[in-house]
Amino acid sequence: MISDIIKWGIVFMVSLILQTSFVPIISIAGVKPDLLMVALFFFSIKYGVMPGIFVGFVLGLGQDLYSPSLLGQNALTKTIAGAFIGLFNERMMRSDPFIKTALLFVAFIINDAAYFIIQIIKLGDPISILFSGLFAKCLPRALYSIAVAVLFYIWELIPKPAIRN
Amino acid sequence: MCATVIASLFMLSSNPGQQQNITRLLAFSVFYPFQFYFNQTTRIKNVFAENRALKDQIAGLSVRVAQLSECGLENNRLTGMLSISQQFPFTLVPARVVVRDPSFISRSAIINVGKEQGILPYMPVMTGRGAVGKIIQVMNRMSLVQLMLDPANRTSVMVQRSREIGILETDNADDFFIMFRAHADVNVGDTIITSGFGGIYPRGLLAGQVKKLSENRDPIFKKAIIAPEVNFDRLEEVFVIKLPPQWASFRQELDTLETTSAKGFAQP
Repeated sequence: MISDIIKWGIVFMVSLILQTSFVPIISIAGVKPDLLMVALFFFSIKYGVMPGIFVGFVLGLGQDLYSPSLLGQNALTKTIAGAFIGLFNERMMRSDPFIKTALLFVAFIINDAAYFIIQIIKLGDPISILFSGLFAKCLPRALYSIAVAVLFYIWELIPKPAIRN
Repeated sequence: MCATVIASLFMLSSNPGQQQNITRLLAFSVFYPFQFYFNQTTRIKNVFAENRALKDQIAGLSVRVAQLSECGLENNRLTGMLSISQQFPFTLVPARVVVRDPSFISRSAIINVGKEQGILPYMPVMTGRGAVGKIIQVMNRMSLVQLMLDPANRTSVMVQRSREIGILETDNADDFFIMFRAHADVNVGDTIITSGFGGIYPRGLLAGQVKKLSENRDPIFKKAIIAPEVNFDRLEEVFVIKLPPQWASFRQELDTLETTSAKGFAQP
C-alpha cells in the first residue's frame, strides 16, 4: 500500500516536472501532450472513482499554481476527469486497450469542455470558443497524448524476463 | 467528490490574494530545482550538433568580422547622433525561461531572475522580436510571467502607421484580435506596437501585424486579427525591462492617503 503511494507520488511528480520543462520541447506546431492527464488516466483506471477524484483534484491544483488568472480551474476539470475515468476502473470491468484509448479520448473531451465552460463563465469569453477550442486544441492534444499513452501499453506488452523466487 | 468540487468552486470564486501567493511560493520552491536542472540537461542533447554547426559558421563569420567592424564604427557615430539611448532609456535584464505552464493553454512561464536581480511585479517582459508579457509574481531568484497568451491578459496597443488605439486580446491563446471602431484607419499588414497607455509596457514595443480584417456583426466595430510577433511556443530567452508600472507612484500616494485617513479616523 505504502509502496504504491510512493510509486504513484513519484510518477505524478515526474509527470509535472516533465510537463513544465520537457514537453514544450517535443511540442508539434504548438500541440503538447498532457502527461498529467495520461498519468491520472492510468491511476484512475486502476484504483477507481474516489482515488481518481482526489488525485485529479491535487494534480489540477498543482497545474493551477502556474495559472496567473484562474485558481481552481484545472482542479475542477481534473476532478471531473478523474471521476469519469474512475467509473470504468479495472475492478469494475475488464476492458481491452482500444476501449481504454477511447476512454482516454472522451476524458480529454470532458476535461477540456469543462475547462472552456469555466473560462466562458469566469472570463466572459464567447461561447464559440467551446467548439473552436474542442476542435482546434483538444482534438490534436488528445491524439498526441494518446500516442504517448500507447507507448506505455506497448511497454506493458513487451515480454519481461521471468523473476525467480 | 463534493468536497473537491466545493473547494474548486471556492477557489474559483475567491480573489487571488495572499494565500495564493504563499502556496505558489512554496510549490515553486519545491519543484524549481528539479525543473531547472532538467531544463539544463535537455539542452545538452543539442550541444554536439551545435558545436559542428558553429565551427562551420566561425569560418564564414571571421571574414565578415572585418567588414562589420568598419560598419560598427560607423554605427556608433550614427547612434550617438540620434541619441538612441535617450529614446530607449530602459535597463534590460536577460533571463531564461525555465518552466512553462503545464495547462494546455500556456498562460505563464517562470524565468530565472527575481528580487535579487531587482525585478519587481508588473515589469514588462520582451524578446528581441517584441512584447511577451508582464511579471506578476517575484520570488528571490525566479519570477512568474503572465504571457500575452493568457485570455485574462489585455494589452493597450496602437497601429504604428495611423496611431489608432486598441486593446490586444485573445480568447483561446491562438487568435489575437483588436476591436477597432468601424471607421478606424487599419489595413492588413499594419504593424501593431504597444501604446504605453496601459502603464506597464513602454510605447513602441512590437506586438504583431494585422493579418486579417473580419466583418463583425456589430456595425460599430471591426475586428482585426493579429499575428503575434513572438513565437510563444519557442520562448527560451527573454528580457525583463526594468520599468516599474507608471501607476506605481499613484498607488503609493493612494496607499499613504488611505493609511493617513485610517489613522485620522482611529484618533478620537
